[in-house]
Amino acid sequence: MEELINKIKSRLELSAEAEEFLYSISKEKTFPKGEVLIREGQIVRRTFFVTSGCLRSYCIDKNGREHTLLFAIKDWWISDYIAIHTDELATLTVECLTESKVIEFNAKELDKIHARFPEFESYQRHNLERHVVSLHKRILNQLQLSAPERYDLFLKQYPDIEQYTRNYHIASFLGITQQSLSRIRVEKAKK
Amino acid sequence: MSNYRIKTIDPEMRALQIIKYGEIKDSLAVNEVTIPAVQAKDVLIEVKAAAINPIDKSIILGNLQGFLPIPLPSTSAYDVSGVVVGKGKEVMDFAIGDLVYSRVPQEQMGTIAEYVAVTSGAVSKKPGNISFEEAASLPLAGLTALQSLEVAGIKEHDKVLIHAGSGGVGSFAIQYAKAKGAYVYTTTSTTNVSWVKDLGADRVIDYKTEDYKTIVKDADIVFDTLGNNYTAEAFQVIKKGGIVVSVIGAMDEETAKLFGMADYKLPEDLAKAKSDKEATYKYVFMHPNGEHLGQIKSLVEDDKIKPVIDKVYPFSDSVEAFTHLASGRAKGKIVIKIA
Repeated sequence: MEELINKIKSRLELSAEAEEFLYSISKEKTFPKGEVLIREGQIVRRTFFVTSGCLRSYCIDKNGREHTLLFAIKDWWISDYIAIHTDELATLTVECLTESKVIEFNAKELDKIHARFPEFESYQRHNLERHVVSLHKRILNQLQLSAPERYDLFLKQYPDIEQYTRNYHIASFLGITQQSLSRIRVEKAKK
Repeated sequence: MSNYRIKTIDPEMRALQIIKYGEIKDSLAVNEVTIPAVQAKDVLIEVKAAAINPIDKSIILGNLQGFLPIPLPSTSAYDVSGVVVGKGKEVMDFAIGDLVYSRVPQEQMGTIAEYVAVTSGAVSKKPGNISFEEAASLPLAGLTALQSLEVAGIKEHDKVLIHAGSGGVGSFAIQYAKAKGAYVYTTTSTTNVSWVKDLGADRVIDYKTEDYKTIVKDADIVFDTLGNNYTAEAFQVIKKGGIVVSVIGAMDEETAKLFGMADYKLPEDLAKAKSDKEATYKYVFMHPNGEHLGQIKSLVEDDKIKPVIDKVYPFSDSVEAFTHLASGRAKGKIVIKIA
């Protein structure tokens, strides 16, 4: 938690009261590999800041196949933000791919922290902008880049992630088949 | 996907039932029945897909009456995939909303229905990278192949002969044996040679034009899925000290004892063939097992095993699905989509 507080402090003047509030709405937790933190169809009350390990959010299509939306490694946030921001039930499932240490926040309280502590206004705005940029990039990459290019970018974005993930997690993140992923890896190895 | 947590479940459901023994079209009917009761160790699965196997056809025809007595009417089939919508108080490993698959135990038979209750030890989460239809196609054939090849002690570099490579069990067994690093011979007919080769078999023997007995020599393992003369012939192609596992041939003496047949002796021809080769012969009864399905889940997710589906039928065409099964012409599994 201290690390996160220091990160926040590097970006804004954090009052003692605000710091105390952050502690009051959060809890450091360790979850085992395979633990499901958010399940499709449930009410979402929590958002997670990852301090170690690797988590994944995915949706399940009507045929029962999983599609990975996001991997979260150290210093990433993960939850079902559709559910949090629309007050709908979760459409995503969030699971731990490894034993993971997270700081679990009350999502609603964190979301409106700027109302109580205005210094968070620009901080949250900045985080949101980065989030929008990253999502737009993901969509554009999906639209215009070839599968090998997307795989290269993926490895840059998530270095070392292959030790935590199954091939089908990565294939479903990239929107390709596992066979295509294998072919891309073979081609890449030849270079 | 819908929200399973708040869904209310109608106490009545549709189920494809065996109403009498005999010809398929006269013996099956879709009935409205009560949803199965959920015992302490059970999960209640909302069925998305069911798959049918040769045993389901044999039960309908009445061929297994002495062996597997079932009350009539009974809901048909054993293979299922779906979503957990309820669970007994002793179930810890599954949560409402889990996507699962199973080969249900005999006493819980009845997967061609909107719901089935299954003891949680026979259930596993389904592979995440395949559809419900594909997942439903795996349990019975997959468990049969996995358990047989594990009884045979399959290991890297073993030479394995798998009969009937295009069948549900054979097509799975080829992929499982390859995943274990074995060298795989398999037999099939001319029209299936190409796709069976694509499953990874090293040497596909077209039984219409080739004699497998002249091609396979010194096999470590023969997996007999055909029975009749194939069981005894297996000893001609195994090495000294090899093992023949069968899911259809005669029972071995040890297994017979477990079934209370203390005086049972292996048929003479088999006993002689076995002793000549100093070989082992094991008859394998497939048993439902959630842990084994968990292993299959991993192999499928790692792309080492691919489901092979012949056709998916809607629930309303279930009888047609059984007719197709009975024709024996299916290349891969026959699946019924329930929801």
